[in-house]
Amino acid sequence: MTDPQVALSMLALFIGLVFLGFPIAFTLMALGIFFGYFAYFDAGRMWRGFDRLDETASWWESTSLWIEGFYNNRIFDLFINQTYTVMSNEVLTAVPLFLFMGYIVERANIVDRLFSTLNIAAKNVPGSMGVAALVTCALFATATGIVGAVVTLMGLLALPAMLKARYEPSFASGIICAGGTLGILIPPSIMLIVYAAASGVSIVRLYAAALLPGLLLVGLYLTYVIGRAILQPSVAPRPTEEEVPSVKLGTLLWMLFTSFFPLAVLILSVLGSILFGLATPTEAAAIGALGGMVLAVAYRAMSFQRLRESVYLTVRTTAMVCWLFVGSYTFSSVFSYLGGEHLISEFVSGLDLTPLQFLLLAQLIIFLLGWPLEWSEIIIIFVPIFLPLLPMFDVDPLFFGILVALNLQTSFLTPPMAMSAYYLKGIAPPEVKLTQIFKGIMPFLAMVFLSMAIVYIFPQIVYHLPGVFYGN
Amino acid sequence: QSPIVMKMQTSWPASDIWMEFAKQYVDRVEAMSGGRLKIDLLPAGAVVAAFQVLDAVNDGLIDASHSVSAYWYGKNKAASLFGTGPVFGGSGDTMLAWFYAGGGEELFRELIQDNMGLDVIGLLGFPMPAQPLGWFKEEVNTAADLNGFKYRTVGLAADLMQGIGMSVAQLPGGEIVPAMERGVIDAFEFNNPSSDLRFGAPDVAKNYYLSSYHQASEAFEFLFNRSFMEDLEPDLQAILRHSVEAASTSNTAAAMDNYSSDLQKIQEQGVTVHRTSTDILNAELEGWDKLIPELEQDPYMKKVLDSQREWVERVTFYNLMNSPDYALAYEHYFPGKLKL
Amino acid sequence: MKTFITFADGLSAAFGKAFGWLIILMTFGVSYEVFVRYVLNSPTPWSLDVSFIMYGTLFMMGGAYTLSRGGHVRGDFLYRLWRPRMQATVDLVLYALFFFPGVLALVFSGWKYASRSWGYGEVSVNSPAGIPIYQFKSVIVAAGLLLAIQGIAQIFRCILCIRDGYWLQAAEDVEETEALAVKNATVGEHPDMK
Ligand code: NA
Ligand code: NA
Repeated sequence: MTDPQVALSMLALFIGLVFLGFPIAFTLMALGIFFGYFAYFDAGRMWRGFDRLDETASWWESTSLWIEGFYNNRIFDLFINQTYTVMSNEVLTAVPLFLFMGYIVERANIVDRLFSTLNIAAKNVPGSMGVAALVTCALFATATGIVGAVVTLMGLLALPAMLKARYEPSFASGIICAGGTLGILIPPSIMLIVYAAASGVSIVRLYAAALLPGLLLVGLYLTYVIGRAILQPSVAPRPTEEEVPSVKLGTLLWMLFTSFFPLAVLILSVLGSILFGLATPTEAAAIGALGGMVLAVAYRAMSFQRLRESVYLTVRTTAMVCWLFVGSYTFSSVFSYLGGEHLISEFVSGLDLTPLQFLLLAQLIIFLLGWPLEWSEIIIIFVPIFLPLLPMFDVDPLFFGILVALNLQTSFLTPPMAMSAYYLKGIAPPEVKLTQIFKGIMPFLAMVFLSMAIVYIFPQIVYHLPGVFYGN
Repeated sequence: QSPIVMKMQTSWPASDIWMEFAKQYVDRVEAMSGGRLKIDLLPAGAVVAAFQVLDAVNDGLIDASHSVSAYWYGKNKAASLFGTGPVFGGSGDTMLAWFYAGGGEELFRELIQDNMGLDVIGLLGFPMPAQPLGWFKEEVNTAADLNGFKYRTVGLAADLMQGIGMSVAQLPGGEIVPAMERGVIDAFEFNNPSSDLRFGAPDVAKNYYLSSYHQASEAFEFLFNRSFMEDLEPDLQAILRHSVEAASTSNTAAAMDNYSSDLQKIQEQGVTVHRTSTDILNAELEGWDKLIPELEQDPYMKKVLDSQREWVERVTFYNLMNSPDYALAYEHYFPGKLKL
Repeated sequence: MKTFITFADGLSAAFGKAFGWLIILMTFGVSYEVFVRYVLNSPTPWSLDVSFIMYGTLFMMGGAYTLSRGGHVRGDFLYRLWRPRMQATVDLVLYALFFFPGVLALVFSGWKYASRSWGYGEVSVNSPAGIPIYQFKSVIVAAGLLLAIQGIAQIFRCILCIRDGYWLQAAEDVEETEALAVKNATVGEHPDMK
């Protein structure tokens, strides 16, 4: 086997081994080290120490020489070097801060205020509760960058309310699953930071670029919900006066003000300061975390217990994401040392694809990977395989990143690893079946594909805001 | 017999013009070795990150690197004297001549092998044109105008510019232009007109200042893993070494061609090209005056700076006394173009 | 074995949680930088270096804690369907084969890497402030040691699970909001509605 073929078998083996369920960070690390051991194998260097050995050597001396010999392979130096590269990555410094902010804000009772207010405000719109749920999710997504909690919070809050108002269970659960995952697409978003770290694209440009496509997707979701409610009123009946009471306009405005205000502060301090050039994403994340703490205190939702929980969760999730980077950096530098990247580009250029065919193929692969895998593995491990191919087809990595981000919305929604659906199933009343949830999700998957097509046809949706904020 | 493959990683992204410069070295080695030596040229990040190439060459993760010494001045500040040190009046040519004829190579060897204990051989090639003071939104005419500016630069130049009243921001290359647009910084320098143009600098600033003493005598640094190098046949070792010299000439040609035509393109995009004022240049020299004694507290750095100063004093005296007024001739044939 | 598992879980959690508080320092430190840069117009030269040192230390020292709580992401859509004994057998083999070579390299090769840096008295190349980074490189060794200890505990967990047929969980700990919410299943109403 030639070196590049060895590299390809490394990739194939990884795809196979992932399914054994071992923590992926360590699987990547191991494969990088095994194949790197082969790539850097140098018997002379390994057994250099044995020249010093004679018959009188003790058991301990010869054992330690064996260990020394085994570790005297350059792959271990490469592994340490890559570990340090992740540790000193400037882009990733924003990750723990955004996570911390997210955990603080989740615990600050913002979602419930917002939903109950919007429910009243949207009362006269068809599918009003669905609309209120989606708008709540979208607004919350603009303030925080993580996913998971929103689905659950909305599942506990909006789902029972909708079911009580005789919404069709699959329709209602589809809304919550799809809306709840918006946080990772609409900036600020951990996923975009990770993509920036993997691709070298400017994170602030990515944020600016993702905003309109994110809103487009929200718009498509809303269109679907309202449209379906008009065409088939039985799936989303109008709530009764008991379910959603009317309030005076003044009261409503005051409620809107008090529930929007905290979010507006967060959105302005984080997204605003990034886009309008007041701070780098890391700085904005720190300000956001600080703001989150202040808000939590203001809403009397802050206790030492909650702070501690947020801190510990931040460590665990940061470690999860960043150790994945440690594994994948090691894996991919061995992969490219062996010439695997080269072979893939040669293979792909031999396919004679048009740029559109290439994009479709790449997005199809990412979509399929999204069934068994989660976004972090896909972006950190698989997207870098596509990145070197982009210049060949004249595809802008910024544009590609936005398509990937839209596409990966589906990874939360497609079985078998549909985190969004599982979170919801975990808290929904038992009569809501997983199959109903998946059925309800399907139309939203279609909306994701539609949004990708629209973005492809009108790339201005991606480029407009980066152009406004940062020039071309 | 199959060729020996040398893995060489640069500190530049695949799209950077300096990858083409590195490729010129590769072409020369491969042609001269008659196919016995092949170089696998890799961009920054392929095996290790841009700033990690010294460690990587030492550990044998890559056999060679194409970078600049300023990138590892955190390990030893003396590194920057082999690229972005004080300017005594010598150009990149002067310093490269010092390296090969004035004892610089031996001092570099002493630093890398004796002082730092690394298994590395280091050579310098391609005398870079002086690096422009850079990009400003408004005109800056006096040193006082620079006060309080948030300016992006690297290495000892950061110490220097901070010393003359600018506040220096450290930003990765790709964030420079967005940061300018956002006002996080309000001026920056990178290296040369071609790189600056590819960055999109003309979109964010309309005043480009040429001539500066902050990085006026840099060269590329070629590092080789010593065991790798010394295991090669003597003729192949010679080819690796002398191709650095050969590539110096072809790099210079490529730089002259690209940097100058890209400077024209920059002007066509509505950018005013200025010469940095004497007042600012003087401030930079005074800045170096303050920095040099600090650096010289280290005996090794004192030795290097003494050697460089002595070299520049003799060589540049000859250079300046000898060189005709090229500007006069230029003005004669292309009147009215220069704005010196 | 159970004693060792409890010890390792406790050790990993103690270090992970202690270094987790760096996030608070980071929040205030970076916010301070924003304040002096944008309000007082005099940025610090050390902010960038200090923030990546805190970020790197935080996630490295949290690695073992995350492992002890099963927080490292797995491609587990098949795995989750297996019986615990099957899971434990596969895990046992893979811990021995996949986990230890790399983790021990963090200790041994990390030691070499860090001691070289101590030898230079290495400082960060990012700024003129000259922030030392040799102590930061030593974090690699510390993280490797913690992971090695936790790895032994994980192997014991596998052995116990193969013997008993069920997994020994780590002590009660903080959970994600979603898990927490499922437990409590109560969400307040809008205060203005009351
Ligand atoms: Na978001
Ligand atoms: Na999925």
